[in-house]
Amino acid sequence: MSTLLAAAGSLEPAARSYLSPTGQEIVFLLVGVLVLGAAVVSVTTRQLVHAALWLVVALGGLAVEFLLLTAEFVAWVQVLVYLGSVVVLVLFGLMLTRAPIGRSPDADSGNRPAALAVGAASAATLVTLVVDAFRSSWIDLSGPAGTTRLTGEFLFSHWVLPFEALSVLLLAALVGAIVLSRAKGDGTKPRPGNLRTVLTKTKER
Amino acid sequence: MIATHALAAAGGNSPSIPAPHIEYGQLSPMLVVFGAALVGILAEAFLPRRLRAATQLGISLAGLVGGFVAVVVLAAQGHASTRAGLLAMGSVAIDGPALFLQGVILLTAVLAVLTYAEGRLEPRINGHRIDAFAAQAAAVPGGEQEREATREGLRTTEIYPLTLFAVGGMLLFPASNDLLTMFVALEVLSLPLYLMCAIARRRRLLSQEAAVKYFLLGAFASAFFLFGTALLYGYAGSLRLGEIADVVSGVAPVTPALAVTTQNDALLLIGLAMVSVGLLFKVGAVPFHSWTPDVYQGAPTPVTGFMAAATKTAAFGALLRLFYVAFPGIRWDWRPVMWGVAILTMVVGSILAVTQQDVKRLLAYSSIAHAGFILTGLIATDRRGVAAVLFYLLAYSFVTLGAFAVVTLVRDSKGEATHLSSWAGLGRRSPLLAAVFALFLLAFAGIPLTSGFTGKFAVFQAAAGGGAAPLVIVGVLSSAIAAFFYIRVIVLMFFSDPQPSGPAVAVPSALTATTIAFGVLVTLGLGLLPQYFLDLATKASIFIR
Repeated sequence: MSTLLAAAGSLEPAARSYLSPTGQEIVFLLVGVLVLGAAVVSVTTRQLVHAALWLVVALGGLAVEFLLLTAEFVAWVQVLVYLGSVVVLVLFGLMLTRAPIGRSPDADSGNRPAALAVGAASAATLVTLVVDAFRSSWIDLSGPAGTTRLTGEFLFSHWVLPFEALSVLLLAALVGAIVLSRAKGDGTKPRPGNLRTVLTKTKER
Repeated sequence: MIATHALAAAGGNSPSIPAPHIEYGQLSPMLVVFGAALVGILAEAFLPRRLRAATQLGISLAGLVGGFVAVVVLAAQGHASTRAGLLAMGSVAIDGPALFLQGVILLTAVLAVLTYAEGRLEPRINGHRIDAFAAQAAAVPGGEQEREATREGLRTTEIYPLTLFAVGGMLLFPASNDLLTMFVALEVLSLPLYLMCAIARRRRLLSQEAAVKYFLLGAFASAFFLFGTALLYGYAGSLRLGEIADVVSGVAPVTPALAVTTQNDALLLIGLAMVSVGLLFKVGAVPFHSWTPDVYQGAPTPVTGFMAAATKTAAFGALLRLFYVAFPGIRWDWRPVMWGVAILTMVVGSILAVTQQDVKRLLAYSSIAHAGFILTGLIATDRRGVAAVLFYLLAYSFVTLGAFAVVTLVRDSKGEATHLSSWAGLGRRSPLLAAVFALFLLAFAGIPLTSGFTGKFAVFQAAAGGGAAPLVIVGVLSSAIAAFFYIRVIVLMFFSDPQPSGPAVAVPSALTATTIAFGVLVTLGLGLLPQYFLDLATKASIFIR
């Protein structure tokens, strides 16, 4: 990591060209291809669990990309939130709803062309936007801009009040989740089979 | 000091972050309310069930009244005028409008919490009091589990801490001095409201549908707000409202980055538009109003009253601060758009209200129309406009709370009888209640000697003074349309024959009676002797930057 940083810092902007890429840039491109491939497989595979696992690869690769850009805080947030929570939530969702684990030919909906169009359109917009915004400019990555230390200093000096208010928000969400989901009063256990009956009813509908 | 160093060395960090400077005393209204919410959660966890409802009511009232006392003390110390300033590293502004609106929100919340605790409107079941909230929110509507929970006398007492959380967010919302704090406050106030909409005791499917609608549309609006925030940051390089204003008006020192971003106004205009969408959604302005009737109808009526009064107050406070602090420099760009929004809101709200057959939906469309009237005050873009909006919010909050409290009293065997046909002849059966409701409707319509007239007069006067005379004409015309349907309800109550199987009027306990009495008092007081409160609003009408 530090060698990569040093390599990035030592180059003068004028000396850079697309024909002599640094090691960091090669790695960045390779990981990018990997992320793209994993993302494509994850939306085309017919096995739901495989799709979730390919999503892990895609999101993890994205975290590596952030690290290569020296945005370490964002990288770890990516790992914690997307790998740690979102994908786990997806897998738990699959397990708890007892969705079919193997191939599921009925997983495709008729919305595939529409989804493809929306995905392609948003990708095109983003690519145009980013290419247009940065064009051929090079950003020096040797500064402290992405470090956790700097982020933390800002968070706990300038943004401490919104940060604390967010913790209140999480507490309110927690209380709300308990209110909406706790099926029985104190001390009594939920009746066995309750979840199952609810689920089968939902499926019948 | 040595110990700190040793600790820091053990942790591998150097303690070089300067501690942020937080003015706890001036933040005390919010801190008291959030503290009461935490105490409420602890009470929920550790107290036996039969003690909970009464304890929660006590904690909530103590917190809200304590917060109000703190607001009054801060105002008396001059924090609304001479000592106004930015707090908590510039995240929060305590000034006249912030303190005025915080006071209104806290008083509204006190009265709303009183209606939450009302347990005498329905006969007891198994000796347990029945309130407006689901016995158990997780039980399937109409199922065996629900009946069992009702028999056991379970109550959703978590409603009190959730309300306190929402109130805390509402206190922060009009006082927030940067877009990030504003967004967090928006979420803190919205999330508990989404939840509270879902736990009506009667007509639970309607209530749950309302909550899901509100949640989905609200999340959408929040996303708009956040995206707009990002664009504005891209334009101005800062989230602070004051610094954005400097960049917008070209006062800020030009850095290389600013020189690039400020060449193109697209970021600024699109960002402002998206942030405004998020806020206009919360105030229920057309074309972002479609959630209002469904949510007002589906939510438990005490929650509807709270939501209609306090959310509108908080959201208009934030809207005022955004436009008056951050974007006075481009008022010639946003004023025409807000003209359109205000005209649409007044006209659409008034006309659609005429066709409604349900009291709660009628009040919802009336609240949309009132959002339009308040927007005309916002468009004035001067001090008088701010004062008029502040006064209008004070007047409107108490009328709304009172009106929804009256709606909870008219009941039949299935709960509240909200269909207009069942209100026919109510004046003969229960003259006092009908007279009180008629007073609230007259105040909504803006008839002289009620608070509604003073409020409307103030905003229209400010708008006319601010060069928006055509807007005032549209406003007066929509008021006339609105008066038609308010008076139609009064005629229905007093001059038509009651249905044989019509609803009964429940006799409330002292809790709801206090709310309604306070509503009547404020409505008449602000109508007959408005001068003191108009002066107060005028004194409180200067934003700090």
